[in-house]
Amino acid sequence: MLPLLKAELFKLFNESKTWYAIGAVLLIELIILFAAYYQGTTILDLLLDNLKQSFYFEGNLLNGNLLIYIILNSLWFNLPLILMIVSSALITEEYKNGTLKTIMLQAVSKWQLITAKYLTSLIFTLTVLLLLMSTTFALAYSIFGNGDLVVYLGTLNFFPSEEAFKRICFAFGSGTLSMIFFTTVSVTLGILLKDPAKTWIASAFFLILSSLLLKADFGLGQMERYFFPKFTNSWQRFFEYQLNFPSILFDNLLLIVYTGVAAVIGVYLFKKQDIG
Amino acid sequence: MLEAKQLSKSYNNVAALSNASIHLKPGLVSGLLGRNGAGKTTLFKILCGLVTPDSGTVNIMSKCAKPIGAVIEEPGLYKYLNAYENLKIFAQIQRAPTDNQSLEKYLKEVGLPLDRKDPVRNFSMGMKQRLGIAIALLNQPEILILDEPFSGLDPTGVASLIKLIKKLAGQNIAILISSHLMAELYKCCDFLYVIDDGEIVNQGSTQELIDEHINFYSISAVNINKAETIQPYVIDTEKDKATLQCSGQLIPDILQNLLQSGYQVTSCVPEITLEQLLTPSPK
Repeated sequence: MLPLLKAELFKLFNESKTWYAIGAVLLIELIILFAAYYQGTTILDLLLDNLKQSFYFEGNLLNGNLLIYIILNSLWFNLPLILMIVSSALITEEYKNGTLKTIMLQAVSKWQLITAKYLTSLIFTLTVLLLLMSTTFALAYSIFGNGDLVVYLGTLNFFPSEEAFKRICFAFGSGTLSMIFFTTVSVTLGILLKDPAKTWIASAFFLILSSLLLKADFGLGQMERYFFPKFTNSWQRFFEYQLNFPSILFDNLLLIVYTGVAAVIGVYLFKKQDIG
Repeated sequence: MLEAKQLSKSYNNVAALSNASIHLKPGLVSGLLGRNGAGKTTLFKILCGLVTPDSGTVNIMSKCAKPIGAVIEEPGLYKYLNAYENLKIFAQIQRAPTDNQSLEKYLKEVGLPLDRKDPVRNFSMGMKQRLGIAIALLNQPEILILDEPFSGLDPTGVASLIKLIKKLAGQNIAILISSHLMAELYKCCDFLYVIDDGEIVNQGSTQELIDEHINFYSISAVNINKAETIQPYVIDTEKDKATLQCSGQLIPDILQNLLQSGYQVTSCVPEITLEQLLTPSPK
């Protein structure tokens, strides 16, 4: 398994599209920071003018914590989409270029190969999230400094800077689990559809559908509690004023189970499939 | 070495392969001749374990980690990597030796230059075929299967590939090659299977099979169109060339009569087409 995993990582980081994807994630981060630097103060002043007359806020409200929170919002769509495109290509490009056939003509087991692909997707997702987190922290705090965090979630929530930092770290952790879920699903979709373009469309559709279903109420009562889209935004719950830690933990654990199920389905489908 | 019995496969109720049986022996080059779409690739995919047959069995008598090395259709290579990196990655995944010396040995064996460091997307079809064969040879398989290896190759490429195939057979590897080109298989195969509509319609040693089916000969001589000797057999004539349809046993007499009549015969070439081989042996 280890040689397969090493080979998968070697291929992934030798592909130009991987670096384009990482570049795109970092560029989006920089654009958000620049936009905030030039326009952020004006917008915040407009939003919080009344509140500032009644309350005292420590430090500048346009601070590193707020910027990190804004960048965290890329976990909704653009970041998972980019990660899903790269992850699904781990399998679909092999189908397209005929290299999967060449691999399967070697002394390699099917389940080990596909498990290595899921692990590569996992490592790539963790790497990108770690990179995003470290660069965001470094740039946001160095340019905008520290301060209290103001977040709008139905109502305005305020967190002192130390509390804000903790919650942001937890949110990054929980968000990483969501990203791993989406990338795992994209690899499974790749096994099912085989074609890169079809898999991108299916991945984007899955992502949009998950967002739409997040707030949907089908009247199924407690059953609905276990529906997967309800967990993909658990990271956002770290910015609710009353933190329900056990409930968030439960959601994250269920998301891990869903991720495992998606991977097991993929391994099963791949093992059953004819190649070529 | 490899024995496949009664293999059948259908796609959407259309039979791609019907009761095909095949037998490969060490050091023997076998050819699978058939039109495009005759079922050659389906048979190869089943032999290599890429596709599960609907019925039939494949028995491989080998204790190798990788009994079969194969190139099916176009060689699937990582186009952004160079030849050495491609070879290394395929060696690594199956725990075959990845040291410099071992990998360069494979490149040399198939006649690829060691100094090409550019990505394989810049390679010619012939070079890609050679690299595909080098990858197939990793882990020392006892059987080598090549699907349409002559496609897209120029005459020089074909000639050097035939030389390589013969060299590998000399190393006691059982080789199976498919093609729709009669001439290329004739040059390198000891045994031929002829496939049509998914069925093996003919098989035998290459020479015997061709001898049994050949009944067209092209004879060249100045003004041969006027020779009386050939008239009962002639089906097509040009001024200095005639195509005859007759048994091979008559050819020595015809040639002798032509020479006695003063015709300077410059060549006599037996002609065989795939269509002729698709008909059952006269025996």
